Amino acid sequence: MIRSSKTWQAAAIAAAAGLVLSACGTTDTDGGGGGDASGEDCNFKIGAMGALSGANASIVIPSVDGAELALDQWDNDECDVTLERFDTEGDPAKATPVATQIAGDETFIGVIGGAFSGETRATKTIYQDGGVPMISQSATATDLTQDEPVEVFHRLVPYDDYQGAAIAKYLTDEAGAKKVFVVDNSEAYGEPLADRVEETLGDAMVQRDKTQVGQTDFAPTISKMESAEPDAIFYGGYIAEAAPLLKQIRDAGIDVPFVGGDGLYGADFGNAVGPAGEGAIVMCPCAPIEEDSTFAADFEDKFGNAPGAYAAEGFDAMNVFLAALDDGARTREEVLDFVNSYEGDGLSKQIAFDENGDVPKENVSYWAYKNTDGKLTPEVEVKPEG
Amino acid sequence: MDFDALINGLDRHTLDGITRGSIYALVALGYTMVYGVMKLINFAHSEVFMVGTWTVLGVYTVLGAEAGAGLGMVIGATLLALIAAMLASAGTALAVERIAYRPLRKKGAPPLIFLITGIGCSIVLVETFGQVLSAFFGPPFGRVTVNVPSVLETKVVFTIPGLDLPVTNTRLLIIIGAIVMMVALDTFVNKSRLGRGVRAVAQDPDTASLMGVNQDRVIMLVFVLGGAMAGVAALLFTIQYDITKFDIGFIIGIKAFTAAVLGGIGNLRGALVGGLLLGVVEVYASQVWDSSWTDVTAFIVLVLVLMFRPTGLLGESLGKARA
Repeated sequence: MIRSSKTWQAAAIAAAAGLVLSACGTTDTDGGGGGDASGEDCNFKIGAMGALSGANASIVIPSVDGAELALDQWDNDECDVTLERFDTEGDPAKATPVATQIAGDETFIGVIGGAFSGETRATKTIYQDGGVPMISQSATATDLTQDEPVEVFHRLVPYDDYQGAAIAKYLTDEAGAKKVFVVDNSEAYGEPLADRVEETLGDAMVQRDKTQVGQTDFAPTISKMESAEPDAIFYGGYIAEAAPLLKQIRDAGIDVPFVGGDGLYGADFGNAVGPAGEGAIVMCPCAPIEEDSTFAADFEDKFGNAPGAYAAEGFDAMNVFLAALDDGARTREEVLDFVNSYEGDGLSKQIAFDENGDVPKENVSYWAYKNTDGKLTPEVEVKPEG
Repeated sequence: MDFDALINGLDRHTLDGITRGSIYALVALGYTMVYGVMKLINFAHSEVFMVGTWTVLGVYTVLGAEAGAGLGMVIGATLLALIAAMLASAGTALAVERIAYRPLRKKGAPPLIFLITGIGCSIVLVETFGQVLSAFFGPPFGRVTVNVPSVLETKVVFTIPGLDLPVTNTRLLIIIGAIVMMVALDTFVNKSRLGRGVRAVAQDPDTASLMGVNQDRVIMLVFVLGGAMAGVAALLFTIQYDITKFDIGFIIGIKAFTAAVLGGIGNLRGALVGGLLLGVVEVYASQVWDSSWTDVTAFIVLVLVLMFRPTGLLGESLGKARA
């Protein structure tokens, strides 16, 4: 290469940086504009932040679609609201520039998200600094509201400490198990969940084993199960490992109930486990849709498939923000005040937020879904506290 | 540390380990042969295995084979899937060689470039199944775990008397399949004319071509053979675990490569020894502690072996002249 002067080098670096920065913060503008009007005072955007692509998108996209449906059904002549989707792939590193962008843009008065706990953890202080109210439809890590809570963060799902207790309660009360074999995948979601299940089960747990993310051969775990002879099995982890594990359990002739946490609640669960997964139970803080509501039909009309994971929660999150605008809130502070004190009937649950932004204890509830013919159908509701 | 669990079921755990290790060994053959002949670590080999598993799924889908099918369908579908997987994997390996490695060889590129190209091929194949094909065809492609119908159902075939150890048909198939393939490949390399060519190129490529051995043909043959072994491994894997995924090759590839190094890279029998040993070590570690310790234990064993025998357990390579 010919001798390049410092000026050229600097220009090249600046050009490269400019290209990179313009590529960051991909925004897919998906205008679900409800309410048509002139609204010069009331022209706002609501951001939806989560994994819209990649392996876990099936857990996030339905909730953002639910939010869009709520926006479509909104009727307010004074206000013009758009939903802007931001794809973070569930990655905290990708979520941070998204949060900075949303917080820095005054037209955003709220954000639905983060969908996952890791990205929420990484961005909650950014939103707090910008005063942007957050309503998360699915971030369940306990520490988000219990360690260093921020005022702007709210969520429509209970945190994972409750989930472990609910699962244990299902195992002992509904499944009548006295010797539960607990397995986890040794990572940030599955392990604390299994810890909490073990803690609540106490003597009802017969043995605990750990596996790895990416593992396909579970023969050692199966032989431990055969020695322990459990009457139920709980797995804390995701679908990718649960599928081969469950198949190997059934192949070994172990027919006892298999229960998993909300990490297994995805549209592809039935496909991945195949016939071996018939009758498996998945616990989820996501509420089944009311039979008498038109939500499922409306959702299917608009998006072409039945509502999936957390669709109702996404719908509710958007409606809380829209109710704030209906009530006259026009700034982030006003929206935040409204959300903090909001109480109302949502599709997924009775909506209210305690001082940390959590679902109040008396409203905490989980549902056990049974895998029937490859589809997860709601079986029973479990309240972890009494 | 639960040594009782290990000792009490030692026979069972050894069987589990050998089963797991047989699949590692078959995939390791591909790594070890290519290294023996070209001194190249073929990082795309893990995806050659992955393509094989998808081919098995494809054959079952086309035939409409499901669990609970009649005996004729089971045998027919399994054999057809075996042949198809071997062809597909061998074809993929050959394609990688022609498209990625041969142009570099012709240009005399440094070894590092081969490595990077191999990694690039691996990523291309993973993303093809994870992203590109799912954009065109939708499910089952995509970044999800996919069920492979359990056409050959697991049944206990016999119980080893005295040990009271049940042996299932799938395990038997895996272990015997691996050993048979290994013996076949070993015999081929040691006894046939083409095999002699392979060993000659492994020993000294230039002298071999002076002796009339076509280097390009030998290299193609080595890739095809390694790919075919990976295809067999793919069928056995799907029989045992009933799943596949776009990135199923990644972890198996790492384990198989480790097994190849453990046994002696470039040594065919070393691939078998390394694979079986690795499988057994992993299962034993899972009993003494739990499965989250398998990798730690396996790699400690690898480091210890390499410290005392840097060329691996069986040491000698494909090209060493044997008296």
